Amino acid sequence: MIVLPGQKVADAAQPGQGVFIEDNKTYASTLAILRDGRVIPQKGQYKPLVEDFVVGLVKDVQFNGYHVDVNAPFESFISNRESLEEFKAGEVVSAKVVEVNELHEATLSQPRKFPPGTVIEISFVKVPRVIGRNGSMLDMIKTATGTEIFVGKNGRIFLTGGNIKLAIKAIGKIDAEAHTQGLTDAVKEFLEKNKENDA
Amino acid sequence: MSTTNPPKPLFREDGKRLSGREDTDLREIKMQVGIFKKAQGSAMAEWGKNKVVAGVYGPKEVFPKFLADPYKGIIAARYIMAPFSGAEEHGRAGPNRRSLEISKVVRHVFENNVLLQEFPKTGIDIQMEVIQSDGGTRVTAIAAASLALIDAGIPVYDIVTPISVGKVGGKMVVDLDKDEDNFGEGDLPMAFSLRTGELLLWQMDGLISRDELEDGLNKGFEAAQKVRVVQEAALKEKYGDFNGSDTGQN
Repeated sequence: MIVLPGQKVADAAQPGQGVFIEDNKTYASTLAILRDGRVIPQKGQYKPLVEDFVVGLVKDVQFNGYHVDVNAPFESFISNRESLEEFKAGEVVSAKVVEVNELHEATLSQPRKFPPGTVIEISFVKVPRVIGRNGSMLDMIKTATGTEIFVGKNGRIFLTGGNIKLAIKAIGKIDAEAHTQGLTDAVKEFLEKNKENDA
Repeated sequence: MSTTNPPKPLFREDGKRLSGREDTDLREIKMQVGIFKKAQGSAMAEWGKNKVVAGVYGPKEVFPKFLADPYKGIIAARYIMAPFSGAEEHGRAGPNRRSLEISKVVRHVFENNVLLQEFPKTGIDIQMEVIQSDGGTRVTAIAAASLALIDAGIPVYDIVTPISVGKVGGKMVVDLDKDEDNFGEGDLPMAFSLRTGELLLWQMDGLISRDELEDGLNKGFEAAQKVRVVQEAALKEKYGDFNGSDTGQN
């Protein structure tokens, strides 16, 4: 069921994404789907969380590290003690969020440069659908297209090798139809139908 | 309130208003969400002959940086009337005294509506462009801006439902148009959060007694329910097919 901002979703306090609590009751704060008592936001911007793997863009190089754009309105930083590699402004890296302060500013670690490839951006609330249950959706796209795919929790996806065009189209389809039922079957059909077209 | 036209009777002989409406009737309201592809969130509201488009960006970095608040996000609202929007010429495009005032009160409305504490050191931009005006553009602008904020995915406490009330020919009537606004005794724009019944905006221009003020507030609260229905319908029209959906999470 779709819930609009301000609509009550639970009579008890249930903290989570896309909700706020007032007088011990829980209300939706964004457009969301309410399913089995769980609120699944359909809109929103990425907020770094500890343990997330993200795809970041190096914005600025300083003597002690790098400022990184992780598709969030808050600053993120990688110390250059984390890596022997050196990065330049404009490079795309993968990294893990190890600490988030009260201003939602993230400290990242384990930065890795990507091999030559493509980065695309989707809405971050749709990342779970691209991955699928236990990675089923992602595995399916990988096997069908032969593309290496790295999905960052912040909505940025890195792709390289194989039939990239088809993989991007499939992910675009998931992004557009993330709220529909039986998406895995629809994407499977889509991949089989277009296998030859974009090869 | 200034015009060169001579005042005219504001009620017809059968007691109805010049537009043929009863005292508590609204004009036709149409709203649409997500009309612009490039904006993060957008909406259009058509309220009678009023036409306002709103766009929302953010949260994002604040410039200049000293304006940023380390405890909460800030809102920058901009209400602008197009030079071709009114019956009289509006002169040079850009902000003027009136539009700066409205930008300020709209900012205060949304400062009490957005969960700003979730976005420290960031800013949210709300832009409202009036492309056609016929009295009550600030309430139309707030209605559009509220939908645009939700379309942008910015967490809010409630949909903001605005309505204007005013005293015309000695009577409190709902949703004034341009003639009633210009030749009436006073107007009373207001905005509600209907979930709690909170008043987010309450301005007054003209001469209205204490009893009339209360009468106007009650009439406005009732009429706001009808506006709210249109706002919810606009959101559900864009996102309605989410019903009964399956969202497998990993």
